[in-house]
Amino acid sequence: MKIRTALFNEIAEKEIRNTYARAFLKALPATIAARRKAVMDSFPDPDAAQACGQAIRAEVVARLPELLEEFEKNALARGAKVLWARDAREANEMVLAIARERNVTYVTKGKSMVTEEIGLNDALVESGIEPFETDLGEFIAQQLERPPFHIVGPAINVPVEEVCDLFMEKAGMDEPTTDPVELGYAARLFLRDKFHHVALGVTGVNMAVAETGTIINLENEGNIRFNKSSPKTQVSIMSLEKVVPTMADAMHLTRLLSRNCTGQKMSAYVSMDSGPKKPGEIDGPEKLFIIIVDNGRSEIYGDPVAREALRCIRCGGCLNICPVYAKIGGYPYGWAYSGPMGQVLTPLLLGLDRTQDLYRACTLCGSCREVCPAGVDHPSMFLYYRSKDVEKDRGLRGKKRPWKESRFFGLWSRAVTHSALWNLGVRLVRPLVNRYSEGGVITTMGGYFKGWFRTRNLPPIADKTFHERWKGLRRKTTGNQSGENRQQ
Amino acid sequence: MKKISLFVPCIVDLFIPEIGEATVRVLRRLGIDPLYHEAQTCCGQPAMNAGYRDQAKKAAKHFIDIFGDDDVIVSPSGSCVYMVKHHYPELLRDEPVWLRRAEEVSERIYELSQYIVDVLGIEEVGASFTGTVTYHESCHILRGLGVSDQPKRLIQKADGALFVPLPLADMCCGFGGEFAEAYNYISEEMVKEKVSNYLESGADLLVLCEPGCLLNIGGYLSRNHPEKKALHIANFLAGTGGGS
Amino acid sequence: MEQSAREEILGRLRGIPKTAVDHRPDMPPLRERSLDHEEMIATFIEKLTLEEGVVCRVRDGREAVVRITEIAAEEGLQRVMISTDDVVASLDLPAWGREQGIAVLTSRDFGDRDSFRDAVFDEAEAGITGVDYAVAESGTLVIAHDTNQPRLVSLAPIMHIALVSATRIVATYEQAVEAMYADTEHIPSHVTFTTGPSMTADIQGRPFKGMHGPRRLTVILIG
Repeated sequence: MKIRTALFNEIAEKEIRNTYARAFLKALPATIAARRKAVMDSFPDPDAAQACGQAIRAEVVARLPELLEEFEKNALARGAKVLWARDAREANEMVLAIARERNVTYVTKGKSMVTEEIGLNDALVESGIEPFETDLGEFIAQQLERPPFHIVGPAINVPVEEVCDLFMEKAGMDEPTTDPVELGYAARLFLRDKFHHVALGVTGVNMAVAETGTIINLENEGNIRFNKSSPKTQVSIMSLEKVVPTMADAMHLTRLLSRNCTGQKMSAYVSMDSGPKKPGEIDGPEKLFIIIVDNGRSEIYGDPVAREALRCIRCGGCLNICPVYAKIGGYPYGWAYSGPMGQVLTPLLLGLDRTQDLYRACTLCGSCREVCPAGVDHPSMFLYYRSKDVEKDRGLRGKKRPWKESRFFGLWSRAVTHSALWNLGVRLVRPLVNRYSEGGVITTMGGYFKGWFRTRNLPPIADKTFHERWKGLRRKTTGNQSGENRQQ
Repeated sequence: MKKISLFVPCIVDLFIPEIGEATVRVLRRLGIDPLYHEAQTCCGQPAMNAGYRDQAKKAAKHFIDIFGDDDVIVSPSGSCVYMVKHHYPELLRDEPVWLRRAEEVSERIYELSQYIVDVLGIEEVGASFTGTVTYHESCHILRGLGVSDQPKRLIQKADGALFVPLPLADMCCGFGGEFAEAYNYISEEMVKEKVSNYLESGADLLVLCEPGCLLNIGGYLSRNHPEKKALHIANFLAGTGGGS
Repeated sequence: MEQSAREEILGRLRGIPKTAVDHRPDMPPLRERSLDHEEMIATFIEKLTLEEGVVCRVRDGREAVVRITEIAAEEGLQRVMISTDDVVASLDLPAWGREQGIAVLTSRDFGDRDSFRDAVFDEAEAGITGVDYAVAESGTLVIAHDTNQPRLVSLAPIMHIALVSATRIVATYEQAVEAMYADTEHIPSHVTFTTGPSMTADIQGRPFKGMHGPRRLTVILIG
């Protein structure tokens, strides 16, 4: 998958004018937020339920190495093969080796963001193996060669007419239709044939349970279950933070994941694998490979602030509530991960220097933090990255700030610590700003703050600031006196 | 004798000092004559948000020096109060003496409506307004400080005022400080939607507690819907002008 | 090569000083835990029906077979695939099939996985299985797959008929999971939770039932 994080503004400006996508996105915060609230209320104490999820994920981060070892030990005991990949290249090579060994010409895949992160599909294609995305949205996005628009609905923004044309061209559909149900059925038939004969199924992993060595997947369509039931070989790929301590923890997180993702109480299917099939079982994989992918995470782990990004369970709750995402959709984030969680994770995996806009195009409104079942504090992370740019942090690849900005804050810090300077500064700047004032309002400042003035006015700097008005406000008796108080 | 002192944010100081004046007027009506330390300047939020932590730390220490002896600090800005409560301890984490002082100050600082309703226990402050009023839930006040009920109760108790809900009241207005300029094409869409919801509410007036939001929403109204007004809660309660 | 990747990754993770793990916050128990048997059944039926699962309740195995006969007639079923778990086995559906002139297949009829797979994909018009647990909190069927419960029977045919013994009703997922994973020597290789027919909303956000998995889910609740 091409990395386009440096094109954030270009893509966002285009997407924000896409009236079709905007109409779809507009509905998102209102409907999804209401649905989420309603379904979280099925917990007797929704706040406690969320706090519990956050505690589970905090524990995962704190105990990551021992939980991974426990998971591996138990998965091996169940007969799974557990492989560790340092980076994307190693992970892809493992999959290719497994595929080549079996002379596989195609694989069927369930939706997996980590496989997008490592670019697995490209690696397969380059090796002459055809990957079929089987999640309907991923299938559409893949055929259209577009990145995912939303974690859960990768092609939810694509108009039906376009889907119809696509299916007629690439999915063997004979009759045109714009009915989503009929289109879905056409995709079902096309992909069913692939499931029927597939030799190698690839899935992601929602949770890897340390206690039992079990991998768990949630889905609505059934395609992941097919990948776990039809082929002789199953490869399940997980980024290393997917581990959870116990089955009980996994059940609680399953509840939170469903509710935050789509506002469902429960997804249509949850499937849990503890090793490959047993002897005598007539379907299911004879070999189950679990690939644990690092790709920069063990480095992140060393940073006590950054590593909290590893709490994320990819529920998409933050996307659903983000007011910025609601205007620009998933494409501008430029990679496998979009929305606030993409803003948190992508800079750590790709470097701050390549992902500047991701953590700056944010008002720090905190809606994401508020809904997060894993306890990620997105706004804090963005402030952290911004400070790492100022510090030119080498580890995170912080990017030097513009000279003018550094200079400004240097001066600013002198002024804020010396009120005489502050007040003098105001007196000097006021005429420069207020020369633009007309009729008590500023509509432009020449070349300055063009972004603001495109659609907004600004009041002039007051001819007397509050500082300057205080003399007239203070009472003779004011000093250390504070008058009568009703209730302290 | 309790020392109750006023923290006037830089945006208010420079652009909308009427908010500060109204805050003083309202407090005096309630029997509080607040102190104002003239050495105050800025809470440091702009530096913090831009990643300039050393500079923000300097602002924090200056603030603590000035306000450290007060029993109560009241401010007509939720984001500044959030900066002090949430970020000062974080910034001063490695300096134990300063950290302790920051923690003490952070327990004593309140946003205005929070102070009036929660601390003074008052909801009727002698405000009056004839017409329908709606309220925008600023992000740092709502999610940062957990303040939401308090301003609405104050509005509802204003004589003659009828409260109407704002659709998607808790959705960010798109200010975000530097964001409004640097990512103006997104910010504009957000404030446009906020104003559209205001118009949809049918309210005669939009009240809010955050000066940054007021600059943003008020600035957009001034350009595009000059007949519609947005007003800071201090001015609303004081019954004085000084909105957009 | 893999060995050293493992050591490298774990080495880096282990090298970071350990931090304390906070105490888990308290959480009140789910409301479903206080339901009695009949209430659990009512909740189960309500929740699954919301997801467009069709639930009918019968008194015993005999009535279950009557219901299956009705469904077969309604749907015009000619060939079905069934599992051989104890609930299904108790109904002797192969005999029923011979009476009805409906081909009733089981995995035992196939010598190898490929021919079984062909049949369950191309021939079976419905899959009939028992379940291990039925969870009230969301109308969820829990199946532990094994030699008597192939994975594809409840997945590939367009219709899934699930026979649920009312004695298998539990309130929450944990109760089903505790039972199945308690004996570490005998953990099922594959467990599925099914809550309604398969579905998607991936096209323009328009939700509909019936994507890759069954389009219709009918539960016959026995007892």
